Amino acid sequence: MTRERPPGGLRTVLDLVALAPAVRTRLRRAALLGVVGGVSAVAGFVSAAFAVGELFADHPSGEAVTAWACGALAGLVTGFACRLLAEHLAHEASYRLEVELRRALAGVLARMPLGEVQRLGSGRIKKIVQDDVKSLHNVVADALPFVGSGVAQPLAALLALGVVQWRLLLAVLLIVPVAMICLSLLSRDYTEQRERYNTASENVNAAVVEFVQGMPVVRTFDDGQASFGRFAAAVGEFTESVAGWLATSRASGLLTRLFIVPLPTLLVIAAGAVPMLEMGWIRPRDLLLGLLVGAMPIEAIAPLMHLTNYINDSKAGAIRIRELLDRPPLPEPEHPREPEGSAVALEQVVFRYAAERGEPVLDGIDLDIPAGTVCALVGPSGAGKSTVARLIPRFHDVDSGVVRVGGVDVRDIRSEVLLRHVALVFQDPFLVAGTVAENIRLARPGATDDEVRAAARAAAAHDFIVDELPEGYDSQVGERGGLLSGGQRQRITIARAILSEAPIVILDEATAFADPENEAAIQQALARLTRGRTVLIIAHRLNTIVDVDQIAVLDGGRIVERGRHADLVAAGGRYARLWACHTEAARWGLAAARTPNLEATR
Amino acid sequence: MRRILRLMLTAAGPYAAQFRTTLRVSLAATLVQAAAYASFVPLLAELTRDPVRAGRAWLWVGVLAVLVAVEAALRVREMAFTYDYWHLVTHSTRLRLGASLRSMPQQELARRAAGDLTAVVGANATTASGAISSLSTLFVQLVTVPAVLGVVVLALDWRLGLVLVAATLAALPLVRQVQRRSNAGFHRVDEADAALSGRIVEYVQGLPVLKATGQAGADSPRLAAVLTDQQQAQARSNRSASLPVAGAQLLVQLAFVILVAVGAALVLDARLSLAVLVAVVVTAARFAEPLSMAATMTKLFEQSEAALSRVDEVLTVAPLTVTAPGAAPTTFDLGFEQVTFAYDGQDEPTLTELDLTIPERSLTALVGPSGSGKTTITKLISRFADPQHGTVRLGGTDLRTLRPDEVLRHIAVVFQDVYLFDDTIRANIALARPDATDDEIEAAARAANAHEFVRRLPDGYLTRVGEIGSALSGGERQRISIARAILKDAPVVLLDEPTAALDTESEVVVQQAIDRLVAGKTVVVIAHRLSTVVGADQILVIDGGRVTQRGTHHELLDEPEGRYARMWAAQVAARTSTG
Repeated sequence: MTRERPPGGLRTVLDLVALAPAVRTRLRRAALLGVVGGVSAVAGFVSAAFAVGELFADHPSGEAVTAWACGALAGLVTGFACRLLAEHLAHEASYRLEVELRRALAGVLARMPLGEVQRLGSGRIKKIVQDDVKSLHNVVADALPFVGSGVAQPLAALLALGVVQWRLLLAVLLIVPVAMICLSLLSRDYTEQRERYNTASENVNAAVVEFVQGMPVVRTFDDGQASFGRFAAAVGEFTESVAGWLATSRASGLLTRLFIVPLPTLLVIAAGAVPMLEMGWIRPRDLLLGLLVGAMPIEAIAPLMHLTNYINDSKAGAIRIRELLDRPPLPEPEHPREPEGSAVALEQVVFRYAAERGEPVLDGIDLDIPAGTVCALVGPSGAGKSTVARLIPRFHDVDSGVVRVGGVDVRDIRSEVLLRHVALVFQDPFLVAGTVAENIRLARPGATDDEVRAAARAAAAHDFIVDELPEGYDSQVGERGGLLSGGQRQRITIARAILSEAPIVILDEATAFADPENEAAIQQALARLTRGRTVLIIAHRLNTIVDVDQIAVLDGGRIVERGRHADLVAAGGRYARLWACHTEAARWGLAAARTPNLEATR
Repeated sequence: MRRILRLMLTAAGPYAAQFRTTLRVSLAATLVQAAAYASFVPLLAELTRDPVRAGRAWLWVGVLAVLVAVEAALRVREMAFTYDYWHLVTHSTRLRLGASLRSMPQQELARRAAGDLTAVVGANATTASGAISSLSTLFVQLVTVPAVLGVVVLALDWRLGLVLVAATLAALPLVRQVQRRSNAGFHRVDEADAALSGRIVEYVQGLPVLKATGQAGADSPRLAAVLTDQQQAQARSNRSASLPVAGAQLLVQLAFVILVAVGAALVLDARLSLAVLVAVVVTAARFAEPLSMAATMTKLFEQSEAALSRVDEVLTVAPLTVTAPGAAPTTFDLGFEQVTFAYDGQDEPTLTELDLTIPERSLTALVGPSGSGKTTITKLISRFADPQHGTVRLGGTDLRTLRPDEVLRHIAVVFQDVYLFDDTIRANIALARPDATDDEIEAAARAANAHEFVRRLPDGYLTRVGEIGSALSGGERQRISIARAILKDAPVVLLDEPTAALDTESEVVVQQAIDRLVAGKTVVVIAHRLSTVVGADQILVIDGGRVTQRGTHHELLDEPEGRYARMWAAQVAARTSTG
């Protein structure tokens, strides 16, 4: 394996904690309180032992007993209060750390190239920002303060025993080798088994997803053998991997269950005490103290195991958080310039996605879109159309060549300014949870109600907003616009683009998912949006672009043809073939043999 | 508690007997453990005597050692369940869940998100068996140890016993509160988490807009409120649940000190033997442990109960019933008679008193606005669910008299979204007929215009779909799914706008493939682009769950005020206008 070993889990978590100094201070206080609490509790038990021990005197003094009992009370209550406070501090600090990390991540995302963010995908980012950050909680809130109580308390117990009666300490220490063996067995990271288990676990999940998502297909096509067989195989593989793991961990698990409990230690102490008492080496009080605090070191081991688990659990998450935080930002210009006008130009643009080696996605693209004109990009899927569209608002930087907006290299324009100049309307309309008005106003937070309404009217959205939605502009759209139909969502994003007053508009397959009755409305809306602006359209339905100023045919990362519709059709090249396909597809109907000539019915 | 036990026994399935035995062993082990603590009393009595009677003391040490050994032996048996059966319980639970998913009515299945079901079969199944194997025995200890120790102390000295019992009684309501409070807290945190998740996705997808308007970055106003809200929800939930725990722990600590004080006073008055006091103090020190565990346990219990319930819920969904098995259909016309259907949990029916007849080997198109009920009609044809009123017939046979898989044997469906399994292309085509020969598969692929591109793949028909995944275009995937349907050669074909999302070049070849698939079949197609169904034998305009118009294209155009004529006009306008 040449893969670089990831840094230790705890280190990574602590590094993240260090990003939030206020949180770190609190955690230190919590750990300190934990130490004080552990020591106080031991002091309390020592006092209790002494209170009872006083009774063994020939003439026990009631005052001494009372004094020791008060000491016990003070020690136990102080210990309790400190632990409570430590836990409280640590939890609060941990919740605060979550906020700080999430804010830091939001900041990084805002500075990263937008294309990188898109390639990561909202699902993966959500997992990091939400779940991975949350997974730190157990380490930060439970494990770190535990270092105070879980380590200080047993040490204090051993110390107290040593001071009061070192011989009994020796008896307690007899059990230490056993404890060490258990601990080393337990903290052994069965990397191979763990990995096998994790892979098997992921396979089960994948098999379930496939089984469930494919169920409609399964039911119509499969008698169940094939897909259920795959599911059962994945489940079986998981079971086997677990069986293997269980077999290897059986010994350590049993050993722990048997020895990492108080009774065996207490038995050793009692057995050791018999001859010691007989010889008069120790006093009954010492025995009582041994029985009260002697098992503390052993009892501290079980939580230590949890600690290892917690750290292993959050290690992967912490590393993912770190990786995202370390992503380089999109370089912002030192001497920013403002675009002049709304012309768009690509000059000798070469671009490949960082993760992909080999052929560039775009290989020497020259494209000139004068201000106020419409340019359409067509070509097979994978030709690079969407990449061209995304280079204009600088979702990525080109490898070589220049992208200019308003005559200025996009790398010399501050990204907020650039994004204000370019309105994007994509296939998948983006809506936020909130009201219709909020969604339209997103493009220009200062817009008045009248301006919002005017934009909605221009986008053919006003009528359905007022007539069909329960509370008009104040209707909730639901998460990601789920309460609206696809066509409604699309028109709201168009209204937003209109309101933004961006002089450049990029449309990527904006009508692909519209149903027939909406299609006409959306096309009207788009016509109003594009009027007087510089427009780049990516279209599959060629009939929508026959009148544009310029059509560029993209294939394999190059522009293979450009011109107006009529000229390209006449030229008989690539576009002419696409157009022929398009007309043939449009003429198709089921049961074509029985179909009268469709053109005649139009 | 009884509910959890019932859920556990259900989830343990074939291993319920072993599980019961384990619970008994666990109880026995705990009783022996309590006896071991009790044996400290005579032992300490000997040890605190002056002079020490070593012989008798050793005897009691021996007794203690035997009890510790017996407990250990019982624990080994108790744990054997974890090591021998945990994975088997998980295994059987998962397979039973899988079987349940297969036989569950499609409607029930569709109601559940794929992610939720993955969680049930994945994480919930393991949590459930974890609960069965470890949590149950922990619970036995948690309840039994304090109870038995309490009895032991009471027996030794009723006054000291009363102190412990009083403390326990005072702590019990607090422990109960933990449960109630953490329930409320978890719920509130879940909500805050969900809100935050939604906002994060939104933030990522909306970055271009948010950046343009200065709303992106660490101080984004779209995030600030939910972040704080989530922090507060967590803090509040933690505080409210930890207070009763803290109270209970404080009570136990106080009880311990009181015990020492009262005991000492009694000894001073010579009303209690010192040995008993020492034994009681040692025993009482063990009291705090189970209580402090109760807090952590509450959370685990919640999770386990939730996991067990979710597993149980999926296991107990009843399959669609088959009334008086009917004759297998031999003709393949379709009929709806006065069909009314509402989805589960909806008041408004999606289909209302719907009548329709689809003759054998005819082509019927369903058109209408989205949400009008078109898809529901195709779902009822494939017995996705049964209508509340009326009858759906295939070849004259009431679908309710046929098992869902019998119904589906006669139906091939081509969906808009193609689902290919992570298996070879061959296996994906052969899904309906695993025993098909290579020649039959190739013939189906040729008819579906898929043979040419499959042949060019690195391993031809044996190429795994998962390995080339995104290398297959939408059109290619669609052709594989059509080949699958052609191979099945079912007499009824249901099409759901299969060419909607394809690019121009793919569209033509997919269209040709569909032409071959539907030849000579009874076809029902859902169409958005009306131009594709102009040649249908009948077009049904569905609106609001009813058939509002029916006829051929020309007949419907002759009703100029009708919905169909308006839809046609709108589409012709959209097609000829330019963007």
